[in-house]
Amino acid sequence: MSAWIMAAFMLTAAAGAVMVILYRNPVYSALSLVLTMFALSAIYVMMGAYFIAVAQALVYAGAIVVLFLFVIMLLNLRNQQALKESFGLRAAVGALLGALFIGVAGGTMWAVLSPDQFSKSAEVFKDEGHTESLARLLFKNNLVPFEAVSLILLAALIGVVVLIRFHGRPSSDNSEESNDA
Amino acid sequence: MTPELTYRLCLTLSAVLFAVGVAGVLIRRNAIVIFMCIELMLNAANLAFVTFSRHLGVLNGQAVVFFVMAVAAAEVAVGLAIIVTVFRTRASVNVDELKLLRR
Amino acid sequence: MTPLDNLSSLQHYIPDAALASFAVLIVIVDLFARGRSKVVVGVLSIAALAVAGALTLWMPHTGERLFYGMARQDGLAQTFKLVIVGCAAVTLLVSLRTQEVAERLRGEFFALMLFATYGMFLMVSASNLLIAYLGVELASISSYILAGFLANQSRSSEAAFKYVIYGSVASGVMLFGVSLLYGMAGTTDIALMGERLASAHPLALTIAVVFLFAGVGYKIASVPFHMWSPDVYEGSPLPVTAFLSVASKAAGFGLTLRIFRDGLGAEELLASVDWPLFLALLSAVTMTVGNLAAMGQKNVKRLLAYSSIAHGGYLLMGIAALGSSDSSAPTAAILFYLAVYLFMNLGAFFVVMHLAEPSRLGSEEMPAYRGLIRRSPALAIVMSVFLFSLIGLPPFAGFWGKLYLFKSVVDASLVEGGVNGHNFVWLVLLAMANSAISLYYYFAVVKAMLLDRGEEETPVKAHPAFALVLLILFLPTLLLGFFTNVDDFRVDEAPEASASIMAEE
Repeated sequence: MSAWIMAAFMLTAAAGAVMVILYRNPVYSALSLVLTMFALSAIYVMMGAYFIAVAQALVYAGAIVVLFLFVIMLLNLRNQQALKESFGLRAAVGALLGALFIGVAGGTMWAVLSPDQFSKSAEVFKDEGHTESLARLLFKNNLVPFEAVSLILLAALIGVVVLIRFHGRPSSDNSEESNDA
Repeated sequence: MTPELTYRLCLTLSAVLFAVGVAGVLIRRNAIVIFMCIELMLNAANLAFVTFSRHLGVLNGQAVVFFVMAVAAAEVAVGLAIIVTVFRTRASVNVDELKLLRR
Repeated sequence: MTPLDNLSSLQHYIPDAALASFAVLIVIVDLFARGRSKVVVGVLSIAALAVAGALTLWMPHTGERLFYGMARQDGLAQTFKLVIVGCAAVTLLVSLRTQEVAERLRGEFFALMLFATYGMFLMVSASNLLIAYLGVELASISSYILAGFLANQSRSSEAAFKYVIYGSVASGVMLFGVSLLYGMAGTTDIALMGERLASAHPLALTIAVVFLFAGVGYKIASVPFHMWSPDVYEGSPLPVTAFLSVASKAAGFGLTLRIFRDGLGAEELLASVDWPLFLALLSAVTMTVGNLAAMGQKNVKRLLAYSSIAHGGYLLMGIAALGSSDSSAPTAAILFYLAVYLFMNLGAFFVVMHLAEPSRLGSEEMPAYRGLIRRSPALAIVMSVFLFSLIGLPPFAGFWGKLYLFKSVVDASLVEGGVNGHNFVWLVLLAMANSAISLYYYFAVVKAMLLDRGEEETPVKAHPAFALVLLILFLPTLLLGFFTNVDDFRVDEAPEASASIMAEE
């Protein structure tokens, strides 16, 4: 039973991804992206990576895609952009390259797995509830990456404020609405 | 589903997501959609990390995923902010219409 | 050497920690600084870089593995950090009075410069691919914003736009490569990975390495990830261009060295993934593309942008030579070349920047440079020296840089077994031919300045503070080759892989 559910989520994720690049209206693309993110989150749950699953739903579906939607609405792209983009030849080349990449990446992926590992990993698969050990890993071994990420977020925050508030306007004094994204 | 098949399918899905992301970056001209495709590429890597982490029985792959998510959020925020500034002067988010710097 | 835990690592991490803390401090100080007191922020930023640079210089870098094997403080990191911090300091000095960055945004500008510098520190001291990725992202995200810093100029936001798209795609591909390597090795520790990858599937390993290279390849503007660089260099504020063309490139090479020397240098790995040949081919294409594209340029800034792609190609040659049995000679040559490149390239960019100000030439186009020798003999001669050095003409520092680099590649090719069985003498010959091509376009600028007659005769005066900065860059360009040589840049050998086992839980 769970196998079929897992397969269904995988198909949903793949279909969502394909729809992201096929819809001409960016709003639909963003909604397809949500679909993919949620399906991935479900897959993480089924693989026992609960913390990552929650973070996936919160960060991607909850924050990032909403950000996309905000910007699309802000720029009001629906009408002008939907018709402008012409696919045609570029789509053919892209599809070809995409197929090539699936071949390359997929083949690589299958080659990467070491067969002698499967007996061992079956054990790990049963082991649930590892959020505690993940937390220990995050704050002990990965303390510097954690601090680095905090700096990345700070840099992005400052950058977005600079870009949005002071750019493309004659003067910044009348900043009645500051979109600090 | 045996773990082996699960892993193989997850990795195939990861490859598919990555390929779709790359194809999207090449096909689409709308900068916002290009950023969505970049998100797909990052998610492909995340899925691979989680799968490998389960397969190998070491947790540090999941720690990486956590960091990638934070970085992705920062990157998207900056990218979209830049798109907005370009849109203010150009009224377009089509990457082909940016020709000011080419000669 | 066993990795240290977080607390005992701190004492070895003081220079980097100081830089990061200063960066955050500047953000806070900037909030309270108003009007004229913004100068405080600038002075504080330069002080931060001076402190970080001095600490880096004086701290013993003995190769400790810090924070459970995340970062490594060794001679390689030290030299790269000095190049990066030097570039950042000179750039900040120059941008203290540039009109390109709006007065009220100076604080943010300085803070982001420091963030980018810290990101590059992370890159060159990374001994774990996670830190490497985060360093790349911190440096990139700060640089995207810096590139778009010219308020109300669509040229600049367009540069930022191109940069952010190319950069995000490249780092996404890099991350996928990292995930593949993680799947094969079960770790993201670079040295440990090198040890465990020996049994991996050769083809899968090759593909993973190619993906991984996308991330650093875009940082060093190697073909085929170079397309962003001329546009970004042209559209960004000039201090940012200079910073990106030197510091960002140096950091990219630092990380490339880490990955290929520390991680993939083992003989068993070279048998399954032939990266020296891959990098040699990329190097050949990169230097040729950079030089050929530079030939047609009439905009001096853009010309320098393409020529910096070509210099990246020369340096890649040194990375390819790392595949030989002795990796320390090419490493020293790369470090020496980067140290020289810091002075000559920054110098050339800053002269262009200074001349582009409205009160001087007000243009970056070649015709405006005609007859500069009559209007400002000093600037014309200094610029000519920088350009001669970039060509690699003796006796300037650029010549010595090229000489040592070429020699190290030839030496590596001629020893028993060559570079992983290849002989890269052809690559050196190609690099020499490329230097001859570069003579043509650099000389076009020199000719315009020294020999042509311009329409205008009004004298152009350099600002005294700027003249001082230029002198700091000019003297090493003239004399570096006589006072030091490549042996001063020798750093410790690649670390023992087995010592890093402890990095795992």
